[in-house]
Amino acid sequence: MKQTPWAVQVRDLSVRFGNFTAVDHISFAVRRGEIFGFLGANGAGKTTTIRVLCGLLVPSSGQVCISDLDCTADARAVKAKVGYMSQRFTLYNDLTVEENLAFAASLRKLSEETIRRRTRELFSFVDFTFPVTTRVADLPGGIKQQLALAAALLHDPEIVFLDEPTAGVAPAVRARFWELIRKLAQAGKTLFVTTHYLDEAENCERIALMREGRIIALDSPARLKAATFREPLLEIEPKLGAPRTWVENLQLDPKVARLQPYGRRYHVLILDPKAWRKIAARMPKTFKLRTISPSLEDVFIRLVEGERA
Amino acid sequence: MTGGFYLSRAASMARKEIRHILRDPFTLAWAVGLPIVMMLFFGYAIDFNVREVRLVAADRDHTRASRELLSLFGSSRFFRVQPLEAGRSAPADLVQEKTKGVLIVEPGFGRDLGAGRPVQVQLLLDGADNSTTGLIVSYFAGIQQLAWKRLALAVPRAPVALVTRYLFNPELNSHWFVVPGLAVVVMGILSIILTALTVAREWETGSMELLLSTPVRPLEIILGKLAPYLGLVFATVVFIYLMARLQFGVPFRGSHLTYLVGVILFLTLCLAQGLLISVLTRQQTVAVQVSFISGLLPTLLLSGFIFPIESMPGFFQGLTFILPPRWFVTVSRGLFLKGAGLAELALPLGMLTLLNLLMVGASLRAFKRDVEP
Repeated sequence: MKQTPWAVQVRDLSVRFGNFTAVDHISFAVRRGEIFGFLGANGAGKTTTIRVLCGLLVPSSGQVCISDLDCTADARAVKAKVGYMSQRFTLYNDLTVEENLAFAASLRKLSEETIRRRTRELFSFVDFTFPVTTRVADLPGGIKQQLALAAALLHDPEIVFLDEPTAGVAPAVRARFWELIRKLAQAGKTLFVTTHYLDEAENCERIALMREGRIIALDSPARLKAATFREPLLEIEPKLGAPRTWVENLQLDPKVARLQPYGRRYHVLILDPKAWRKIAARMPKTFKLRTISPSLEDVFIRLVEGERA
Repeated sequence: MTGGFYLSRAASMARKEIRHILRDPFTLAWAVGLPIVMMLFFGYAIDFNVREVRLVAADRDHTRASRELLSLFGSSRFFRVQPLEAGRSAPADLVQEKTKGVLIVEPGFGRDLGAGRPVQVQLLLDGADNSTTGLIVSYFAGIQQLAWKRLALAVPRAPVALVTRYLFNPELNSHWFVVPGLAVVVMGILSIILTALTVAREWETGSMELLLSTPVRPLEIILGKLAPYLGLVFATVVFIYLMARLQFGVPFRGSHLTYLVGVILFLTLCLAQGLLISVLTRQQTVAVQVSFISGLLPTLLLSGFIFPIESMPGFFQGLTFILPPRWFVTVSRGLFLKGAGLAELALPLGMLTLLNLLMVGASLRAFKRDVEP
């Protein structure tokens, strides 16, 4: 069978629970070997989409293909090709590391030899150094998360779905986890990652922004930024004694398209460069001004505002 | 790799479940503790046998005949007869629970007996405690027989003499009555609660997601998860059987094979009920509550284990028809005490089979619908 370059193909997918539409006619495709980010607030439909892709949920309508297999017709074959790490910690706390992995492997009917080899490989991959006889309950949170990843990778899946893998873990562990995700992609795996940390999404080759069940943008982070902000984005930093009222008045200026507080700074978007030069000339010296490249957060906020308008 | 049903996957589910059981003090405590506690409770603490019931005797006749009558009561091991203390009235003793009954022999008893006239003896009973009182009355009938024989010379023979003989449990030993039913209660409660918890736990912790993201089949999950509990509860049945036979001396007069069939029918039914509860509730706390209401209460109250079905109101009698424990109590007692064969047990075994098929079918359907996408 000829392989297409697509690991995941979704056409016009909808999922409805009674009257509630969780996923509303979305279409997208993920290339083989890509790190694909799925972004959105809680309840945007990310987990529902992942559950359909892993064969845990039957879509209300639309077509889903995983590695050229139809998800509805070949659910079991699909399950053999994908690894899924759920948002919730799914290993058994009262079993040891070894028992958990052996159990996960036995459900996939891996041979003893394969289990031993994969466990060794994965332990060195995630840098797991605890004794395998440790009960999972006794492991630190970040290590547990890495063990859950190892369990999802035991059968050497082509495509790995990670649902909020870094929710609630320490920043250092988050960074480490993304390092593992990049290494997996280098090894040829397709990674489908949901997150609501926008800074993490910068690690993805392409991202899809989801809002209320629909995809409102899909592209690489750089192109998303370029497409959303054709004008320069400015940052105003008030220094000590800067008059707050000036910023407040700025907000009322019709020439200012957007003014967004970021901590004590403000991100300002002004569409007309001439108007901006006038404002800059009037700006008190206690403010510092520079041009910045937009973050994904800026992109997300602007896109969501554009949706509302 | 993805095809049909694999026993090996069910077996590894079972191995995992056994580890859960061994490492969870709560499950272990239930599984080991409940049969022992129930055995001690119903086997020793609760005793429906009437022995040494205190009777107060007011002998106002003071003749040889009246003394002989009272000694008849005294010599029976059911009653301990004490004379009414001077200055006390009979009802006062009953009110203060000093006695369960007062026997009054009026003056003239001996004289009338000697003259061949009908005589009467009055027995006042504490009707507030109707279970004991009911038993006293039935023992009383036996003593009356005896009294007629001993004092019969002058008593006209009753035209019809009713002689009661208790079959199957001649001494009306309450252990014989309770212990065979105890196996039903322990099986009913344990298997429903433990299964209701085990599947709900997988939902609660999210590990069901992990299971379902693998090619494992629903039937493999179910067989693997339930097999250890089947074994566990079966072991408690053996324990109760041995206790009944060796400790309480309950006879077993029927076929062990029939008993085994009954146990398997009832046990799988209870496991299926637990599974259904688990699927419907998905939460351990709710699952326990529903198990108690749908498992423990009917088993204790409506199965005929203690309270006879015949004396229930019509609605509840009808309700017991669809309650599996009722049928298994019948099977159990029939086999232990009566030596009932397949012909006599056709109705209860048939009902158990029917209810079993319905419950297993319903729970498997519910589970499959729940876990399959």
